[in-house]
Amino acid sequence: MDALVEPASSTSKTGEIPQLTDHLFRHEAGKLVSILTGIFGMERLQLAEDVVQESLIRALQTWPYYGIPDNPTAWLMQTAKRLALDIVRREKSFSDKQTAIIATMESWSSSYEELEPAFDDEIKDRRLRLIFACCHPQLPQEAQTALALKTLCGFSPAEIAKAFLSTEAAIAKRLTRARQRIQELKIPFAIPTGPELTERLEGVRQVVYLLFNEGYKASSGEALLKEDLCIEAIRLATHLTEHPATDQPVTHALLALMWLNAARFKARVDHEGNLLRLSEQDRTTWDGKMIAYGIRHLMQAAAGDELSEYHLQAGIAACHCTAGDSASTDWETILDHYNRWVAINPSPVIALNRTIAVAHVHGPEAALAAVKAIPHIELLDAYYLYHAVLGDFETRRQRNSQAASHFRRALELTEVDSERSFLQKRLHSCL
Amino acid sequence: MNAPQPAASNGYLLLFRGTAWHEGLSAEEIQQVMTRWYSWFDKLTKEGKLKTGQPLANEGKVVAGKGGHTVTDGPFAESKESVGGYFLLNVDNIDEAVKIAQMCPALAHGLRVEVRPIVGSCPIESAAAIAAGREALVFAQA
Repeated sequence: MDALVEPASSTSKTGEIPQLTDHLFRHEAGKLVSILTGIFGMERLQLAEDVVQESLIRALQTWPYYGIPDNPTAWLMQTAKRLALDIVRREKSFSDKQTAIIATMESWSSSYEELEPAFDDEIKDRRLRLIFACCHPQLPQEAQTALALKTLCGFSPAEIAKAFLSTEAAIAKRLTRARQRIQELKIPFAIPTGPELTERLEGVRQVVYLLFNEGYKASSGEALLKEDLCIEAIRLATHLTEHPATDQPVTHALLALMWLNAARFKARVDHEGNLLRLSEQDRTTWDGKMIAYGIRHLMQAAAGDELSEYHLQAGIAACHCTAGDSASTDWETILDHYNRWVAINPSPVIALNRTIAVAHVHGPEAALAAVKAIPHIELLDAYYLYHAVLGDFETRRQRNSQAASHFRRALELTEVDSERSFLQKRLHSCL
Repeated sequence: MNAPQPAASNGYLLLFRGTAWHEGLSAEEIQQVMTRWYSWFDKLTKEGKLKTGQPLANEGKVVAGKGGHTVTDGPFAESKESVGGYFLLNVDNIDEAVKIAQMCPALAHGLRVEVRPIVGSCPIESAAAIAAGREALVFAQA
């Protein structure tokens, strides 16, 4: 995928200092852990992670003095290979497999300059195995997301903690337990086949979707890191589309919805970090390249006859992304997507979002009626957006005092600064 | 500084002390520190201020005893004191050497940089040069 795959090193415009691709180490770490896990076995995941970390440290110790190698990826790979060979020769626990492992590893190219292209498919295959292992349904979901970030995306426990608003110690513990579970359950390093594949792949997509949402939600947390989380989720989904076993229309739908939402990531807040409504966003800051990727994957998602929730969400996002301005948004199509979405998912949150489309197509009265008709609407009472949406509809009906009381109620329910200042603004405009 | 500047120095050695400061760094941080360190190295080389610099392996031997018969594996790895690398600077005075040391990108992560003037063939001149400045150990403000 063009956006994320760039030459590993390139010469900067000002000349001589070669620049590494952004996040190269993080991405190489994920790749190398997959490769080494294939060698060491899933039960020695920690060992693979340690070897990779050590390889990065070796780069840190030598590149500053000798310069960045022509092919940093090959350098890291060779270093990891040498460190791994060392361990396999030394460690007695490998005794039965030692000869076979050494033979495999020595067959890899031994040059710092190039990697054999034939190795590419092997890498993709191993990465997918690791994805399935990390997203194994017998691991708790919070362990799955943490493990995916650590092993596949090269995040440190401290970074995962920041992204999930947790502590480093708690994340480290979660990871240790997850690795233990993997050993106890003998979770295989394998791509499932047959009917199991469908079910397991759905689970993998959910983890990826969860990671994306965690990054996308506007709650507190380091902005940059949250954006990284979204990009990592996109990378994982991209890996899924690059392997024949998991390259399915639904996977493309998931990838499309993430690209189309990520395209608007930077436009969602103003300079002071205040949330902006879609109609207030500067559409010129939407990322055209990401929108193009999104649309391309949405088209690939259209193959076959399965209509997943990801398809519908991607369709909704596409309507927003392709509208020249707020006024020309195709709300009728959006409403149509929501109608199908609520038909397959009874979540009151989705039903609430649908009412916004109703308001645009049929007016605020109809939207309020639609809110009243949401089954289990009481579940939303503690959700600030529910009250914010009601406030919005009342504003459109020019009923400012009702609107104000809804916004006040919403304010009681959120402590996130950006959300609060947004609500304050709405409240003031109806006083 | 009131003392007269020495005519020329024999150079200064920056010793990077600590071989475990990178523990717990994430892949992203490793890449960032590495990149900053490399541009620091590159800039100093181009300015002619850095004569040479090399990393040292964590493994090594310590030779001691009368006949040099006591050869032990050095406890170099994972120590705060161990030297992980050095720069040989071609600058005129210790203040400038200290300023350069202060730019070390790993200070923030706990690495310490020791600045040591190199003594020349005339020890008196060298002593004067050293007296003109001061030995310094630079470390990050915690």
